[in-house]
Amino acid sequence: MSFHDLDLSDHVLDRQVIDSNHILCGKVDDIEFDDTGELRVTAILVGNGAASERLPEFFKYVSRKLFGTRVTRVSWSEVDVITHQVKLKSTAAELGLDERSGAAYGIVSSLPSSWKK
Amino acid sequence: MKKALEIFLGILTAMGGFVEIGELVFTVDAGAKFGYSLLWIVALGTIGIITYGEMSGRIAAVTEMPVFFLIRQRAGYAAGLATLLAALGVSLLTCAAEIGGVALLLKTLLGGNYFIYVVLALVFLLLVVWFLSFQAIERVFGLLGLMMIVFVVAVFYFNVDWAQVGAGFIPNVPQLDTSKDYLVYAYFAVALLSSIMLPYETYFYAAGALEDGWNASDITLNRIIVIIGFTFGSVLAIALVLTGASFFKPLMIEPQLPGGVALAPAFALGKWGLIAALVGMFFAFGGAAIENALSGAYNLSHFFGWTWGKFRPPKDAPRFNLSWIVIFLLATVIILTGVDPVEVVEYSIIFAVVILPFTYFPMLLVAQDPKEMGPFVNGKLANILGWIFLILVSMVALAAIPLLIITNGGKG
Repeated sequence: MSFHDLDLSDHVLDRQVIDSNHILCGKVDDIEFDDTGELRVTAILVGNGAASERLPEFFKYVSRKLFGTRVTRVSWSEVDVITHQVKLKSTAAELGLDERSGAAYGIVSSLPSSWKK
Repeated sequence: MKKALEIFLGILTAMGGFVEIGELVFTVDAGAKFGYSLLWIVALGTIGIITYGEMSGRIAAVTEMPVFFLIRQRAGYAAGLATLLAALGVSLLTCAAEIGGVALLLKTLLGGNYFIYVVLALVFLLLVVWFLSFQAIERVFGLLGLMMIVFVVAVFYFNVDWAQVGAGFIPNVPQLDTSKDYLVYAYFAVALLSSIMLPYETYFYAAGALEDGWNASDITLNRIIVIIGFTFGSVLAIALVLTGASFFKPLMIEPQLPGGVALAPAFALGKWGLIAALVGMFFAFGGAAIENALSGAYNLSHFFGWTWGKFRPPKDAPRFNLSWIVIFLLATVIILTGVDPVEVVEYSIIFAVVILPFTYFPMLLVAQDPKEMGPFVNGKLANILGWIFLILVSMVALAAIPLLIITNGGKG
């Protein structure tokens, strides 16, 4: 598929994002456009803060309370290949999408044998 | 040889994992209230869960996409989030009921304080899920849950009217005294169908297929496990209805506690019958608690695109692992409030049926899409059954909550 006939809503939005090492790092929760001249995509937004913007006010509030407001902006130039997933050119850590940095990681990694399969 | 062993264990695991506290309560109670007349619902539900279980396993094997991956992709964020929250609520309530069930069994076996057993059950389940692999959990709980087969053996000691049993498999509505009784019958039909087709079964089954690294070459394995395992599992459910109809109904007892249900095999087979029933129920309920906690974590991870899986070290999938830990903790808090686990499971089963159409519809769309499934797309039979059951569960979903309210949870 060429980028010219890409249906953003069908082929990009809500798709799985994976980094250059095939690590899962969220979903395409929203898409950022530059509408100053010709309309063009500038970034994908990853994180519940972006996805919840697509909800009516009450549900947005509930979603943010439950799943947080974090948003990570990934420049469109970082997008490598779009198949049924959106593959990025860099690693999750380089783009600020690594799960192994937040509170969940702090708790889980402190438990015994958390490094063992 | 390895494949044959995998199929054999898979069948036994699917069979052993078929019954949980909700199904136990509703099947025995259905038999005690309405005799053999609801057996056709067990058969119908079994065909339904085979249809969608097979589809979920096939989709996972071919596309490597679990259920909530599909729901978000097909239904979008808003509708997907609503389904996710409902599914999480049902999984949480079911997990709570199963933990309560385990604690009740321990109390029956050993005596002592119920609330201490609730906490012990939590600790046991946390340790099991943390330290055992997915395959070990599946096998240990599935195989030891098979001890519930003692209910099938016990049935042959009761005075079963086999002609009536045969008649019970033909869709029917028995002659009842009042119009309210008909509503209670309808409520039990809905609850029984829901307890057999609980949505977490397809979530967990598809996630399990991915945990086991299935691919398109495992389609036959998937089909055999689902068809034979779930059919044998339903034999256990049928035995529970027969236990209710032929043992409890003549005594005019409607057992409300798992320990009470175990009296039937105790009566038939003595002390060892009782022990086998209680141990079997312990692993069946414990296994269902784990499946619900893990299902919740899988669903969250698949919906939000987090790293997931028991096959990874926990620190590499921190949100997934923290999710099932939190679900276990919340479920335990619910039970520690003193709420009756059997009542909790009744609500969870009725609410579960409401989310069934939202779970099955995206699955059906993908399974019949040749672009996604290639040569493994639904055949005619899978499509016909898929649509029949989708329409059926949609109608049942509309009726479920009104019936719950009108019949006061089946109490009439």
